[in-house]
Amino acid sequence: MNLDFDVACKLGDFLYEAQFEVDDEILVLFGHSGAGKSLSLQFIAGLMRPDRGRIELEGTTLFDSATGANLPPQARRVGYVVQELALFEHLTVEGNVSFGLPRGADKASRTRELLSLLDLEGFENRKPKTLSGGQRQRVALARALAREAPLLLLDEPFSALDDSLRVSMRKELLRLRKQLGLTILFVTHDLREAHFLADRIAVFDNGRILQLDDRGTIFKRPASRRVAELTGTSNIFSATVVATVSDGLFLEVDGLRLQADGLDGRFVPGTRVDAAIRADRINLRRGGEVRNGLLAVVSEEFAFGNNHTLHLTPVGAGPAVEVEIASRPYEVLGVKVGQEWLIEIPPGDLHVMPAE
Amino acid sequence: MSRLDRAATATVIFLGLCFGVFFIVPFLGLINRALEEPSTWELLNAEQVRQALWLSLWTSTFTVALALLFGTPIAYMLARAKFRGIAFIDALVDLPIVLPPTVAGVALLTAFGRRGLIGEPIEEWTGFTFGFRTLAVIMAQLLVSAPFYIRSAKSGFDAVDIQAERVAYTLGASRVRTFFRITVPLAWPALLAGIVLCWARAMGELGATLIFAGNREGVTQTMPLAVISAFEGSLLGLAGAIALSLILLVVALVVLFAFRLVAGRAAIR
Repeated sequence: MNLDFDVACKLGDFLYEAQFEVDDEILVLFGHSGAGKSLSLQFIAGLMRPDRGRIELEGTTLFDSATGANLPPQARRVGYVVQELALFEHLTVEGNVSFGLPRGADKASRTRELLSLLDLEGFENRKPKTLSGGQRQRVALARALAREAPLLLLDEPFSALDDSLRVSMRKELLRLRKQLGLTILFVTHDLREAHFLADRIAVFDNGRILQLDDRGTIFKRPASRRVAELTGTSNIFSATVVATVSDGLFLEVDGLRLQADGLDGRFVPGTRVDAAIRADRINLRRGGEVRNGLLAVVSEEFAFGNNHTLHLTPVGAGPAVEVEIASRPYEVLGVKVGQEWLIEIPPGDLHVMPAE
Repeated sequence: MSRLDRAATATVIFLGLCFGVFFIVPFLGLINRALEEPSTWELLNAEQVRQALWLSLWTSTFTVALALLFGTPIAYMLARAKFRGIAFIDALVDLPIVLPPTVAGVALLTAFGRRGLIGEPIEEWTGFTFGFRTLAVIMAQLLVSAPFYIRSAKSGFDAVDIQAERVAYTLGASRVRTFFRITVPLAWPALLAGIVLCWARAMGELGATLIFAGNREGVTQTMPLAVISAFEGSLLGLAGAIALSLILLVVALVVLFAFRLVAGRAAIR
């Protein structure tokens, strides 16, 4: 399954311009609300008409401004699930699921197949109103799968569910994807959801894709400060390249010299750059020799479930840093506000980007 | 409960009771007089009464059918379309609701009457006149009562989640199939309320009918017109007016309870 998407559209003051390809994978469209993620799905489903561009699905042109081609949503063969689910409340579960199926001999058997696939057997004659959140979710998915569309468009489908249910629905989706060989475009503003589901992630901001890469690269090697911010990197420093060595760079951050692994020809000494490291990649040490060390005092701490977030203020030169640490090491180390620690910033995890 | 709150509660109950008495007494009076009057049962069966009842019932029902036919697309458009001037059209729909029906009658006369804007050329070309025909009764009813249906249908369509329609499109359903399989069933309680309001308004239509269609026994004399005629000294007399009113009251009660029943069932679904 292959989708080729290249579209531009002006909506009032908002300018949308995006280009991507999807190929037998889960591509997560990630970004804040209003960034243009849902709009992308509407263009593909045929519910919104772009100003110009071209959308092609498995060799079929869905939209092409050059030729004026524009298939109606009915002819596009994509499964579409929206956040509010928009179940047909007046129809039964069975009526909902079979709505997209053509009349014919195998309509009933296909419906049964879908109901069993989504674990909805026994609920055929129930109205959606009488179902739990997870069951409603399954009905919406089964309904979208009915036409055997090669492409599934999911617009924040799990965001109305409570946490535990959301986790199990994500697993369920991965199971379905494996079982049916689905290609999925998944819109979310939830970082953890993006990380859990994505093969690749497209980071949307203000109608544009800032970066489209595999999951690991997006989180470890953001293309810019903005992407790092959007994907939850809490330590982003303004820095200057002071020297290059055979396997890396030396940077100066607030008067402190830090080393970053990996050579990038773009960065010659004197270049202004942004350097980023995720809070969970930083280590706390009692002392000793480390490559990127920084003495700092714990100024604040916050607990988030199994994780603790510490804010540390440098004793001498260097930036203030945020460190995320799991509960177990937090307790073993006996971390407290006011303590002084040697912060280790592993050179391999310090990522350098061109300054914005 | 403070003294002020107690006094307020007592006042509310007192006002409610006063209005309740004012509300119920006229109906009791009507029923009482009808039962006292020895000729009531005879009058209920009078030719003029039967004609008026039948005329009222079928014209109102026909009016509702026309309101559905013409009003449903308008209501749907008002609920969905976005273009400049839609607010103006929306406000215009309410005009007959606010306007005294007699004005609507005069307006119809100046448009479709023998000297009317359209009525005159039509009569010249074809010899056809609108006035004093049952058609005129239906036209008067439609103009005055259709807005009640359109208003209610529009709010019903407004309340239907557009996403449900859009999802139906992606499931391969045409706009027509989506409208009849998704939109109409979801808006059904509001459509039903609109139908009942429209029908009741058509049943009660007097002013516009009197002016535009006239008051011809068996042709344009609907129930409300027959009541007026009875007062003005037709053969039926006051007793006839009472008998006619009793019929209308019974019809209204039946419709009201039937509507409650159906609407309640629709809401439970």
